[in-house]
Amino acid sequence: MDIKIFRLKNGGVVQLADKEKMQEWPIELPLLFIEYIKNKQLDSYGSAKKEVEKYLDEILEEVAIPRLISVLKGVDNEEIVLALTRIEEISKKNAEMAKPISKYLDELLKRNNKQIVKLAKSISDNFAKAERKKELAKKRKIMRDKEKLFLEGKINGEEYAKARKEYLTLKE
Amino acid sequence: MLKKQDGKVYDLKAAKELYKEYLERAKIKKDIILPPNTVKIDDLNRKETLNRLYKLVDDVLEKIYKSGRPSVELPSRSATNIIWDEENDLILLGKQIMEKQFHTLTSVADITRLMRVLEVVNELLNEDIHATKREVFYSDVNLFQEQKNSDKSIEDVASMLHTTRNSTHVVAAPKGTCVGRLRIRDRSDIIDLEGLGSGGWTISPMLDNIDIIESDAEFILVIEKDAAMMRLAEARFWRKYPCILLTAQGVGNVAVRMFLKRLSKELDLPVFSLVDSDPYGHYIHSVYLRGSKRLSYESPFLATPNIKLLGVLTRDLDEYKIPQEVRIKMNKRDEKRTKDLLNEDFVKKNKAWEIDLKLALKLKIKAEIQAFASHGFKFLTDRYLPEKLTTGDWI
Repeated sequence: MDIKIFRLKNGGVVQLADKEKMQEWPIELPLLFIEYIKNKQLDSYGSAKKEVEKYLDEILEEVAIPRLISVLKGVDNEEIVLALTRIEEISKKNAEMAKPISKYLDELLKRNNKQIVKLAKSISDNFAKAERKKELAKKRKIMRDKEKLFLEGKINGEEYAKARKEYLTLKE
Repeated sequence: MLKKQDGKVYDLKAAKELYKEYLERAKIKKDIILPPNTVKIDDLNRKETLNRLYKLVDDVLEKIYKSGRPSVELPSRSATNIIWDEENDLILLGKQIMEKQFHTLTSVADITRLMRVLEVVNELLNEDIHATKREVFYSDVNLFQEQKNSDKSIEDVASMLHTTRNSTHVVAAPKGTCVGRLRIRDRSDIIDLEGLGSGGWTISPMLDNIDIIESDAEFILVIEKDAAMMRLAEARFWRKYPCILLTAQGVGNVAVRMFLKRLSKELDLPVFSLVDSDPYGHYIHSVYLRGSKRLSYESPFLATPNIKLLGVLTRDLDEYKIPQEVRIKMNKRDEKRTKDLLNEDFVKKNKAWEIDLKLALKLKIKAEIQAFASHGFKFLTDRYLPEKLTTGDWI
């Protein structure tokens, strides 16, 4: 079977490449596929959206990550560089997607290959940036809530100032 | 000239029902079983093709050691060895074998060319690269003399290895284009066929690098002419009616036919053809339907036996009130071609097709797809095609 079929309530059909077929693809491609479908197509799938999301998670867990890991744990530097280059691109756009390889980064940073170390460092930086962005968004939300409560007179100035300070520190 | 269409959205009921039927049928999908008196051809990967090639060379060497009179055997591609398989509606190659001997004067040039092509194929497969038939010809112009000689040797090599020509990494030059609700991968690149403008994606002859990754299309429309393709692409026809459009600018070459076969087989989509209402248009449809005689050994990988002839049918000309001034009188050659088609077994077995061809012969008229422009440029996209796909008016 090369294709997986998803039926929509309106009678439409969405057909996606089968995960078995992806075993033959270049190692970075399943991850790019997931990213592509999530960003460009998923919203148009209507009633099949959830089912497709579940399928994409399956691909991530059963195909994309295991295949990447098998390469990253290997000894073929050329193949590792190729994989890391694509992972680096993905981590720039969507760090969450590339996150499952984070536990292998420490080991890669110790390798005796400049290119591998450089790429691993860049991926690690992208993860840190994404983490900071996430944290900042969380703090921003807290600060806005506090701001609202402060204007309504439900909290005092000190509590509001504390939230604002935390947000600004992180922002800098 | 510009006539406003009614802007009606058709539900394409008949085409959708056909798609549903195909999807149901796909659940119990069976492989094609070829008749026992025909040659079985396999679509091989690089390693498998190389293995077959080495085995063939080993056999030749063994014959040299044993008898000093080597020869190679390959399925005959003469007319007497071409069989129409009614069950699968395919043109296939029979089991007649031809022997080419190295030591006779009549076959020496032929066999040298054959061995040269084998050498080229070996190089292509080992390097994992592809070459066009033209490039193979230029690889040894003195030996091949004319491209028809190298082309023949290329086909001989593929049939000798019992594989498709694409498996030997000798490919046709890119010719057709495809556009619509389809996403593919070409090695590591994801290509969205909806986002390539009106020009679409040039169908790569290196199909071993291509995989279908996503589609929400409900049918495929194969269009004979570029001009009609342009009309549909400009109208973004696939947005209103989820489909994949494909054109080969005339008879589909190997890459186009193989790609269409894969689309139809993997996605189980109904396939319709839109060709001129003339014997050549019907011939183009027939090549998609059951393969060509020249490449009969590859038919199972090239033919799309469930393709429907959507139009332009002779009966459509009156049905859609095509003015007399845009209808063209058939010449003697058209009449002969129509009669030849009527003599083909696969036409005789399809009553509706036979009736339409007989009607064309009786009226002695033909018309191009563009004749619909006499009702306005949008008539084709806004009325003719959706109406026929809704009512199921196809052959």
